[in-house]
Amino acid sequence: MTQKELIASIQQFIHDEHSHDFNELALQLFRYQFEHNLPFQRFSKQKRKTPRNVKNWRDIPSVPIQAFKDVPLSCISTEQAEATFMTSGTTKHIKGKHYHPTLTVFDSSMITNFKKRFMKEQKAIKMGILFPDHEEMPNSSLARYLFLAKAFFGTPESKYTLSGNGINFELLLEELKTAQQSGEAYALLGASFSFVHLIDYLQEKQLYFKLPKGSRILDTGGYKNQSRHVETGEFYTALKTHLGIEKSDCINMYGMTELSTQFYDDGNEEIPSVKSGPHWIRTRVINPLTGLDMPFGENGVLVHYDLANFNSALSILTEDLGVETDKGFQLLGRVQGSEQKGCSLAVDEFLRYAKEES
Amino acid sequence: MEITAGYLPEMNNETIEYREIIYSYNGLTAKVKVPQLSPQQLSKIMSIVKANAHILKSFSVSELVAIIDQAIHILLDRQSKQRRLAETWLPIITGYDQEIIRTGLTTFLQRFRKHELQRFLVEDFGNPQLLDDFQPLVKGGYSKAVGADVTGHIWAGNVPGLPLWSFISALLVKSGSVGKTASEEPLFAGLFADILAEVEPKIKNCFAIVTWKGGDEEREALFFEGCETIIAYGSDQSLASIKQRVPVTSKLISHGHKISFSIIGKESLHMQKAVETSHLAALDLIRYDQQGCYSPQAIFVQKGGLITPGEFAKYLAHELSALEIRFPRRELSIEESASFIRNQQREEMSLFAEENKEIISDENGRWIVIYKDHSSEFLPSVLNRSIQVFAFDEIDEVLEKIKHYKKWLQTAGMSTSPENVFLWSQKLSLHGVTRMTGIGRMTSPEAGWHQDGGFSLADLVKMTDIEASTLELAEPLSAYSN
Repeated sequence: MTQKELIASIQQFIHDEHSHDFNELALQLFRYQFEHNLPFQRFSKQKRKTPRNVKNWRDIPSVPIQAFKDVPLSCISTEQAEATFMTSGTTKHIKGKHYHPTLTVFDSSMITNFKKRFMKEQKAIKMGILFPDHEEMPNSSLARYLFLAKAFFGTPESKYTLSGNGINFELLLEELKTAQQSGEAYALLGASFSFVHLIDYLQEKQLYFKLPKGSRILDTGGYKNQSRHVETGEFYTALKTHLGIEKSDCINMYGMTELSTQFYDDGNEEIPSVKSGPHWIRTRVINPLTGLDMPFGENGVLVHYDLANFNSALSILTEDLGVETDKGFQLLGRVQGSEQKGCSLAVDEFLRYAKEES
Repeated sequence: MEITAGYLPEMNNETIEYREIIYSYNGLTAKVKVPQLSPQQLSKIMSIVKANAHILKSFSVSELVAIIDQAIHILLDRQSKQRRLAETWLPIITGYDQEIIRTGLTTFLQRFRKHELQRFLVEDFGNPQLLDDFQPLVKGGYSKAVGADVTGHIWAGNVPGLPLWSFISALLVKSGSVGKTASEEPLFAGLFADILAEVEPKIKNCFAIVTWKGGDEEREALFFEGCETIIAYGSDQSLASIKQRVPVTSKLISHGHKISFSIIGKESLHMQKAVETSHLAALDLIRYDQQGCYSPQAIFVQKGGLITPGEFAKYLAHELSALEIRFPRRELSIEESASFIRNQQREEMSLFAEENKEIISDENGRWIVIYKDHSSEFLPSVLNRSIQVFAFDEIDEVLEKIKHYKKWLQTAGMSTSPENVFLWSQKLSLHGVTRMTGIGRMTSPEAGWHQDGGFSLADLVKMTDIEASTLELAEPLSAYSN
């Protein structure tokens, strides 16, 4: 299959769940990536997994997210990519790179899913974006994501309320006031750590808003190194207190630079919330040693199979800890570097020291 | 199952609270109750041990050797109640295989029998009577070695038995001990203290084995204040924090996490020898799953033998696979599993870029051998039976790879000709290695070894001198002076 044909099939599948079979499409994609990405091919061969013997999507070798830092994971020459999304990686300043030959698939994946999970089929809402725009951050998949949200679902009055200089509080307060007075639902979207900065500001100034019914929040990502750490429960309580938005209208998006599809929960009344994705992405909770599924209800490491990842690797081994539930999975945080048991200096500890020194 | 860990001296009318730590392994669950002392109680214990230090000092060093020897023999006796406790509980607490613990304990405990302890003493003092009385010096005058009233121990990690090194060392120099156990293994030190008190009831108030949560500033301040000498084990990070808080007047001896490795010379790579060599090398790394500071993280294999380094890596993989059946690896937590696999995947992903690399791994992630030629960098291992094999021609290539780790290096396991042993040791010693040993012996250091380059006993005493002039002046003052 050519890239063009694959893209067409995936696009079709995104729009119509019944147009293809997930397993078949995954196997076609695996064959394509195996043939066109030599580092991945060598990796798969080492695991004795080839298109010849892999018959089920679960057996497609998972690429660790670290690999996006170490090797070019792409089926085309990386110079030809329309967009390259990079992780914010801190270790020795090496960033993971995700090459997108075209953004069509990423875009339709985002738009189709966002419409269903955040917009709940509503056509448009006035938005405030707590994140720099995509021209300021061309290598950020989140900037692209928020740009699409605003472009496709934001009313013309929607605005970016954050730039390289930080949150534009003057503008944001004005927007919040207007929303409160107009009675028109308002959506605030951005990185979780920016919300923490906002909460801190509102707390300090003792400001309380009651945003109109239908208003909602979308936050994503953690707080690491960007703001103080806040417990999830406390975070959503503070948003309710200061913005008057119910926890059930606060949606947390779980996405990764290494993926082309996002997961959502249905509000954060109960935490940890249950996350799920659309039909073109599947998730397994595995025992990392054996690669087998953990028994239902037991913690394991998340592996995602994202058909929208047509150019890199469709199966991604994350560093996220999770547990399967009836309707999806709960995210339990990052798998921490393992605790030292004995008195030998292991690589995890060594790298921590190296990181502190750099 | 439930057991109480720790050891407390006699304390009148004190109600001690206990905290429970639950361990599970292979479907077995163990509840270990560890004493949870209030700061006042800890303070009181420090005072009791200090007040009783004179009792230890009233014993001669040979009497103390005899007491320790007797206690060790109780633990060596597989029928004794205490040995059975250790064999039952330690596998559940630490997660290491029963056989590994059983054989490991015996090898380890043998180091502390009477004749070994005597070597231990001679090693550091020449004349062990220095600990009993002032001994004449060649230069004139007399000296005596005086141990602290209280030596404090902060133990870490789950390698069974390790606390005994410093505990016994302190006893030999007639110093009282207050030891803080690690939650990874809170049992063994207390068990040994119990036996000592049973063997010689007179010394029952000369030590205490307690615990608190590492970093508890209030308790640690009391502890540091009450000890003349502190021996601390742990990560560089926790040792740095301890160092900041130990008063300048107390002595701190710290043992951080270390990196060890093996070097195999081409002489030991003949057809038959190679099998034996790979077996010994594999034993070093399955014992405590490389968690010991002396466990190998990499094996450097010399080219030019009948077996190539690449073939040696295959021999090693075969040994690991066979040993896995007899001595299965400890069950790993999700974090450890993820770390192990992350490392494996990363190595596998780089196969494309590094053509000469080879990876042999178990399909269930129980062990992995990563063979790299000399161009690859050496990074510490993820442990838990993950070993890197590097090929080399000349020893200088090995030195080049380890030079970044000088401050962390400890043991080099060797298998080579006597000429090379000295030649290589000479060079390795300048690169920070402090112990050379035969492969297969890496995890059982000899009695009297200089752990991390220090003196196990001599570092625990203050040498006290009577200078010759004292006696010159004293002579005319005697009652019988002419």
